[in-house]
Amino acid sequence: MSTSKRIIGTLAIPVIASVILEALCLSHGQNIISNAKSFDNFVIYAAIVMITTIALSINLNSGRFDFSLGSMAALSAVIGAKISYTILDGGAGSAALMLVITVAVGAILGLLSGILYVLLRIPPIITSLGVTLIYEGILYTLTSGKYVMTEVQNASMSGFVGTWVYATLIIIAVLIFSILLFDHTKFGFDYNALKNGQKVAVNTGIKEVGNAVICYMICGGLMGIVGFLNAARNTNINGGQLNFGSIAIMFTAFLPMFIGSYIGKFSNEKLGFLLAAIVMSLLNATFAVFSNEVTASMQSIINAVLLVVFLIYLNNENLLVRILSPRKK
Amino acid sequence: MKKRLTKLISMAVAAVLTLGVMTGCGDNSGESAPGTTQAGDNAQKDNSADEGKTVKIGVLVADVSGEEALGFRSYYENYIADNYNVEFSYTDALESAEDEKAAIEKFAAQGYEAIISLSSSDRAMQIETCEEQGVYYAIASGVLDESQYDTYKGYEHFVGQVGPSNQTEFEAGQEMGAYFKEQGVKTVALYGAFIPNPMHVYRTAGVIAGLGDTYGGASDMDAIAGQIFEDQSVDLTKVDGDIEISAYLQGYGDTTTDELNAAIQKEPEVFLSVGMATTFFTQSLNEAGIAFSDIDSFTEMNSTAIKDGKLTYLAGKYSSSIGPVFALVMDAVNGNVIRDSEGNAVSFSQGYLVATDGESFDKYYVSDNGDSPIYNKDILDGMIGDDITYDTVKSLIESN
Repeated sequence: MSTSKRIIGTLAIPVIASVILEALCLSHGQNIISNAKSFDNFVIYAAIVMITTIALSINLNSGRFDFSLGSMAALSAVIGAKISYTILDGGAGSAALMLVITVAVGAILGLLSGILYVLLRIPPIITSLGVTLIYEGILYTLTSGKYVMTEVQNASMSGFVGTWVYATLIIIAVLIFSILLFDHTKFGFDYNALKNGQKVAVNTGIKEVGNAVICYMICGGLMGIVGFLNAARNTNINGGQLNFGSIAIMFTAFLPMFIGSYIGKFSNEKLGFLLAAIVMSLLNATFAVFSNEVTASMQSIINAVLLVVFLIYLNNENLLVRILSPRKK
Repeated sequence: MKKRLTKLISMAVAAVLTLGVMTGCGDNSGESAPGTTQAGDNAQKDNSADEGKTVKIGVLVADVSGEEALGFRSYYENYIADNYNVEFSYTDALESAEDEKAAIEKFAAQGYEAIISLSSSDRAMQIETCEEQGVYYAIASGVLDESQYDTYKGYEHFVGQVGPSNQTEFEAGQEMGAYFKEQGVKTVALYGAFIPNPMHVYRTAGVIAGLGDTYGGASDMDAIAGQIFEDQSVDLTKVDGDIEISAYLQGYGDTTTDELNAAIQKEPEVFLSVGMATTFFTQSLNEAGIAFSDIDSFTEMNSTAIKDGKLTYLAGKYSSSIGPVFALVMDAVNGNVIRDSEGNAVSFSQGYLVATDGESFDKYYVSDNGDSPIYNKDILDGMIGDDITYDTVKSLIESN
């Protein structure tokens, strides 16, 4: 593939989406990003979507459907919030400490989920449903079903989401980490080999079990970051997410995952996820402009329709190319 | 061997799963009804206050996190439970009429003698269920609408209701709207809390009227509230007047942060809330530098919000305002069911107190705090007893 085709393929969706959405907002007399605060929100939302998408894709690309992502995010955030509040009482450095603890706890929760999966050897979708219920139950027990607020409402946390800088640093760090890990290490080579041909990969001596467990652990760590960002952004954590109440978070990542994978065909998949997250954040910012006309439920419907339309496009891409290409005489 | 290990682990996981689900249903230790949590140290309470058997009261709640709800709970569990021979069991957050009915039935099955309701999904069903189960029932911090009260006021187990009437709720919203209109604001954002909860509907209707706006061409309480009930929301295209409502949101869920950010982006001069803004939005609004108001209660968090944050108007209840309902329930359980002059379940309206700065906030907050609530043991003792009458209770409520 030529470099120009790669560049065009990589940037086409973000650029076209930006132009359409900005035009829509201008027709309403506003810009997508209207002030500094909306830019902060834009970057933070992009970070949440990108990291969730990467976490979802790690296991899903290998055929492991993981419903427990949301419960890992919420539970690790609650534990991180409670420990950091106990240590610093909401004082300076609370956000940084909570982030570190939340990521560590998330990784442990992911590790436990992975160990359970490889030990039970039952379909991952079943295991992840069980793990979701367990983590939600623990979350509920820790919080008595209440919103966790005192622990995450302090100057340190508000300072963290009061600027786009920290979210940008997190995006860069996660992007570098995931590109290095999955594209430039033995673990990554093994992961890609298993993803593309499990039996062949195992026959060549790649240790499937260890690779899967590490994948779960990485997912947990990433969802820890998402849990932290959500807690900072929402200024609370919902402790009453019982009966699969936490799984909605993974559905927000489906559309960007498909868009990102498509963009990844022209460049790097993880970069594709970032660009897809930016598109989703632009869409979210556009919804903010039209918030009085487009209700939250209508936004969900629009997102679902976009997902279906994109999947239809992906499934019929070759057909479209054939139709749109000039016919040879 | 491998198969056996797998079976063992599967069984262990199944057990853990079951445990996980059970823990999710709340603390069911001791004799508390399933899905409920019991008041902390009832077993070690000061029994010198009242001799005899412990009165078991179930409390229905929809909100387990809000400032007002926590203040109420603390008063019952930390003050009343320490001073009377009573045991409170709280439900988890009830989300529907079915949840409320199930909770009442569980309380009744566990031998609870009375229900105090702070949950309002379907109060008519609550009364019917309590009547069926033979359990006394009272409404705290709210009232039925007039037609419902007329229907149920003669029910044997309906003890009564003490709280702001719908008219009072409307007036609280109206005063808030009028206050900011007087301040000269031109654009506001509005949070309708949990519409179609009646108290939030009436407060919201009041705010619109207080701002001097009309809703669907109407400006009076019943017409505005009726339309909001019908719309199940506030339709901004129906709002007309000099003060623009630039953004509206309600409820609390996955999309609320986005909706709040959208409202903030519209840069309203003030964010008006008819409930729970101080619980959910204080940090975000402080950070955005947007003044806000709320109808809530006089609690520590709200004290900080009004003194150090952007909370500029609070119409509040004080936490011990639910004391008289407890007294009425105790009388009923002890055999003295208090009735009004016509022999019906009692109905008392309570108003709101308004604070617009730290000083006015402290006037109410300091006098209703911890061990020294406004409805303290001395006052409540004047409402509990075999010779207590409707007039006695009425005069004590009106004087506080």
